[in-house]
Amino acid sequence: MTKEAIITKLTTIVKPYVQNEEGFKNLSEETDFINDLEINSANLVDIILDVEDAFAIEIDNESMEKMLSVKATVAIIQEKINA
Amino acid sequence: MPKIGNDIVDLKLAKTQSNWQRHGFIEKQFTEKEQQEILNSEIPFEKVWLFWSMKEAAYKCYTQEQEKRFFAPQKFECSLLTDAKGTVFYNNQIFYTQSKFDAHFVHTVAKNKKAFYIKPKINMYQGFGSANTVDAEIETKLAALYNLPKNKVEKRKTKNGAPKFYYQNKLLTSSCSITHHGKYGAFAFML
Repeated sequence: MTKEAIITKLTTIVKPYVQNEEGFKNLSEETDFINDLEINSANLVDIILDVEDAFAIEIDNESMEKMLSVKATVAIIQEKINA
Repeated sequence: MPKIGNDIVDLKLAKTQSNWQRHGFIEKQFTEKEQQEILNSEIPFEKVWLFWSMKEAAYKCYTQEQEKRFFAPQKFECSLLTDAKGTVFYNNQIFYTQSKFDAHFVHTVAKNKKAFYIKPKINMYQGFGSANTVDAEIETKLAALYNLPKNKVEKRKTKNGAPKFYYQNKLLTSSCSITHHGKYGAFAFML
């Protein structure tokens, strides 16, 4: 799966939790879930669970710790898919 | 350094924004001990958000001195001493929490030193208000405390997002934490 395809799928996942639409319009690899999209921290867990379902992967606690941005999340998804 | 963190949960919004009964939701965030306590409690929904606000308040207290942010709610373990008082353990550190709740919200303040309770020279303020008035409220309080014009009190953020209030180059808050959720906002700071 290409990085672009992962980002597209991830964008659909985060959409329902976004509180800052402006930040969502400008979503890029550099986007931070909390600072740029103002996603509530309790919803980060929902994103992690949705990512697990959508990509059929399991995210361990160590990986979850880093999942605060698009870039970090994409890297973790790639690593798990290729594992 | 003494630090303080705080977190508020709008319970009405939490009900619609998150489904705590979703498969995996509590397993990812809570330790086994906490999960048992949640499931055995009379109102599990309230216990979920009480523990969550304790973890968040402790995290916000802890990260004021850290360079990096992270998401590891399970590593912050809550223990309640009474309905409202408790501790959160993280990485060999202990945070002392005091929570306040009713049918509409849960609010927790976490401190990294118990001694704050008896040290009179450290001032701590807590305020509630709607989300968008919290910053203005802090500015008003600081202006009054330092005898400064209100429009000269300025909010800045550290690299990891923690708020700090300044008058020109003088730091006015030795620790500060702001929280918003739904209708509610709250803050806690020390001079």
